[in-house]
Amino acid sequence: MKEQPLKEITQLIHAIKVGLVEGSYNITNKTLDIFKYIIMSKSWQNADALMQIVRDQCKILQAALPQETVTSNIARRILKLTREEFDLLHAKVQHFADDSQASLSLHKLVTQTSESNVSVDYSVPQQGLREALLDHLQEVETELETSSENICVQAEEHIHSSEIILTLSHSRSVENFLKRAIKKRQFLTIIVAECAPACRGHNLAASLASEKNVEIVVIPDAAIFAMMSRVNKVIIGTHSVLANGGLRAACGAYTVALAAKHYSVPVIVLAPMYKLSPLHLCEQDAFNMVGCAEDVIPYDSIPAREAKIYNPMFDYVPPELVTLFISNTGGHAPSYVYRLLTELYHPEDLEI
Amino acid sequence: MYFSFQACKMVLTSERVPQTDAQTLKSKHKKQRQRNRPRNKRNRLEDSHPTHPESSANEAASAMPGKQDAVATEKTRDQIIAEREAKKLAKQAKKLKNAATATADAPAAPTVPTTVSTIPATSATKIITKVEQTTITTKLTTTTTTKKADAAALKPTQPAAVNGKDAEEGERSREQIKAEREAKKAAKKAGKSGGAKVEGVLQQLADLKVSEKVTANAAPSATEANQQMKKPALSKAERRALQEAQRAAKAQGQTKKAQPAGKTPPTAVPKESKRESVSPTKAAVISYPSKCPASTANGDCRVKLFNHLVCAKEDSQFINDPLVHPSIARLGVQYARRTVVGSNARCIAFLHALRQVVHDFETPAKKEFGRSLDAAVKHHVDHLHKCRPLAVSVSNAYKQFKNQLTQLPSDVPETELKELLVHFIDTYIENQIGKAAQAISGFLQEKITDGDVLLTFACSSLIQFICEEAKRRQVAFRVIVVDSRPGCEGQELLRRLHANGIPCTYVLINAVGYVMAEATKVLLGAHALLANGYVMARTGTAQVALVANAHNVPVLVCCETHKFSERFQTDAIVYNELSDPNQLVRGDKCQLSNWAAKGKLLPLNLSYDITPPELVSAVVTEVAILPCTSVPVILRIKPDIGY
Repeated sequence: MKEQPLKEITQLIHAIKVGLVEGSYNITNKTLDIFKYIIMSKSWQNADALMQIVRDQCKILQAALPQETVTSNIARRILKLTREEFDLLHAKVQHFADDSQASLSLHKLVTQTSESNVSVDYSVPQQGLREALLDHLQEVETELETSSENICVQAEEHIHSSEIILTLSHSRSVENFLKRAIKKRQFLTIIVAECAPACRGHNLAASLASEKNVEIVVIPDAAIFAMMSRVNKVIIGTHSVLANGGLRAACGAYTVALAAKHYSVPVIVLAPMYKLSPLHLCEQDAFNMVGCAEDVIPYDSIPAREAKIYNPMFDYVPPELVTLFISNTGGHAPSYVYRLLTELYHPEDLEI
Repeated sequence: MYFSFQACKMVLTSERVPQTDAQTLKSKHKKQRQRNRPRNKRNRLEDSHPTHPESSANEAASAMPGKQDAVATEKTRDQIIAEREAKKLAKQAKKLKNAATATADAPAAPTVPTTVSTIPATSATKIITKVEQTTITTKLTTTTTTKKADAAALKPTQPAAVNGKDAEEGERSREQIKAEREAKKAAKKAGKSGGAKVEGVLQQLADLKVSEKVTANAAPSATEANQQMKKPALSKAERRALQEAQRAAKAQGQTKKAQPAGKTPPTAVPKESKRESVSPTKAAVISYPSKCPASTANGDCRVKLFNHLVCAKEDSQFINDPLVHPSIARLGVQYARRTVVGSNARCIAFLHALRQVVHDFETPAKKEFGRSLDAAVKHHVDHLHKCRPLAVSVSNAYKQFKNQLTQLPSDVPETELKELLVHFIDTYIENQIGKAAQAISGFLQEKITDGDVLLTFACSSLIQFICEEAKRRQVAFRVIVVDSRPGCEGQELLRRLHANGIPCTYVLINAVGYVMAEATKVLLGAHALLANGYVMARTGTAQVALVANAHNVPVLVCCETHKFSERFQTDAIVYNELSDPNQLVRGDKCQLSNWAAKGKLLPLNLSYDITPPELVSAVVTEVAILPCTSVPVILRIKPDIGY
């Protein structure tokens, strides 16, 4: 039987679709709120039932919003939490029979086999699971709230004075990061590629220009290569980080990364942990989305009637073009992303 | 029915002129010119009458502006003649125009420009005529510009007045385009009814153009003779003649009153009455926004990296030089406003203007023709450089022309020397641009096969020519046009290709990765090829080449050898051109608007970028298909190739 979406889920989908909720952070926050509500108010008897509800709702979200991977990321986080809490409580009940479940010693890590996890029966009702989960969710919420701040704090470690930084489009993390850098360092030059046709780069430029001691240069996307020879660092945001360390980022990021590679300029990607998705998408068509073409060429122009006009939203940036990820937990190399993913999500939840 | 359609089509080609018609039209023009010439000569003779020595008039104008009226009040004979002629011609023009407006409702009228560009032509002159369109359409403004320059010379202390007039010039030229279009309509009608009398129609067209020139300028017959580098000042009588001509041309009530010198009423006023909405479809003329945003505070709001480069200046300051030939002055404004863009178009426009300069040049007394012309042309080229840094193609053409000047025989009369130079200019255009394009296209036709997907960036006349040629060969290919803000020149190419029935895809440059997978070849135009093998081209070209390289798609740069430069350059920052940064601002709601007030926000609009040779598979020139690094070889052997 096909599961029906909850009222809150439908509302969220609608809000995202019509653009009331924008930005990964806001979407993540709202999704988390809904799952919290599910845990609190829904009647579920055991961990298995809860996980089934979360999975079902997540599937609905995924089908409705295939581009917003953060929703399923949060669902995966909750599934993982449920498992952990259940295991913990289960172990407590058994009075730490072998003392192994609670602490992951090195020995345990080496000898542990995946089979032992599979064999856990989640359908057993567990006392106090709901409370433990809500407690833990509180932690996740705090992490989410402080993620932007935690990324910003690292600005000083990566930017020196009189540096020339290039960025693309408008990402909130990048905006905060650069603002912090401007406060701490003197004489920065920030080059913003406008990212036509939406030209969100203009907003970033206008926002950054309110700071002191900084030069903001707005360039058209065509001039990225020309300017790259003078750039010290490229700092961009991303829509999501894929399992191989590649990016699904704003359209134009690929060119930026390629040009940076050509001039051996480091590319730093700001990605809070909730943007890490256990997906392998290496093809344009697999994840791209085409937007409205009106901005590219006016509908009423003569050639627009016959010509094919594309306005893709995303670019795939392969991991070899990325130098460093900065997340709220610190810096990571693209090759380390797979490891972060195994820490974040349970292997069984990669496919929801 | 078929017959009349055919006739109509032939008339429509009159602007694009395939081979045979081109000749007839050219000869027509020549005749027309010759017909005009005697009159001009007469005037010139009379002008240099001892009672009005040019030099003294000039002195009077410059030293004592008050006096010049006294000098000019007496109506000389030639001015009276001019006045009469102006009236006559104005009437004639009016008649013609009435006829033209009567046919304004002709069914196919709005599509005229597009139809024009679909007619196939096979000759080398085709690409030239295409680019020449700009020149043709704006040729009529020549004398207006002179007058303005003259006026400016009269009152150099009134830059404000000059500014205002300058703004008007845009409108004026538009009107002339309009008038021309109407002439075409009339011609079409004639073609339909009269049936295939193309020549007659062309004659009519030419007539109309000429008469229009007269109405537009009212008293050009008097001034035209004098326009060459000397003189100026509009005398009172001339001004009166001008006004009367306007009245005769049925000015509507708003004709302005006589104004002091320097504020001569805009000569186009009478024509404003028949203004109508015009679709901005003139080929090669990328319409310039009517209001020229003032590039304020050039000194302050500058990107530090580019402090060494000159920012685009407002063009009104360029027309203020009495020593500059009107055709050059006009070209300067067109350069500065980016009305004439593209390496080839700029080169052709320059050579046409140069031809005019040579034609109108008079050797000062006791000077040698070659040397004095050299000095004069140098002044003109400096002026153009001030308007916009010279394109490599233009400076190469200038170099060749100078070279030609030094080799002039000394024992030949001046007129023959002029013929020689004019011939040189014409062959330069034909060989270096026309035939080169054909040769390059010939090379590339072998490379374009069925199923090919060509990706190109921005708008290159050469690429367009190649695509049309391939279409004519009935190759089944399609084109991806990549474009970028703020110029959006690709839209022009898209329009032209679309008119030729070539299936197109259009994306902005950040989506180039999205479409690159489909492309089988990347064809790029170039502004210049530098001696170290780097390709200088419109900003964004390097990026396209970069992405193509990442996708293992071959990149072919098409570039005629007349664009080869001896300069070395390794990045796009040392030498570049800055366009108007205001072009980046999108409307009033844009966050960038009034960036100048915000201080730290600096839009930057680079014109060119440099593509390193490792990103380019090959350069297609008229000599051969070569690697980029062979540029010095071509530069060295070029004089021997026979140009």
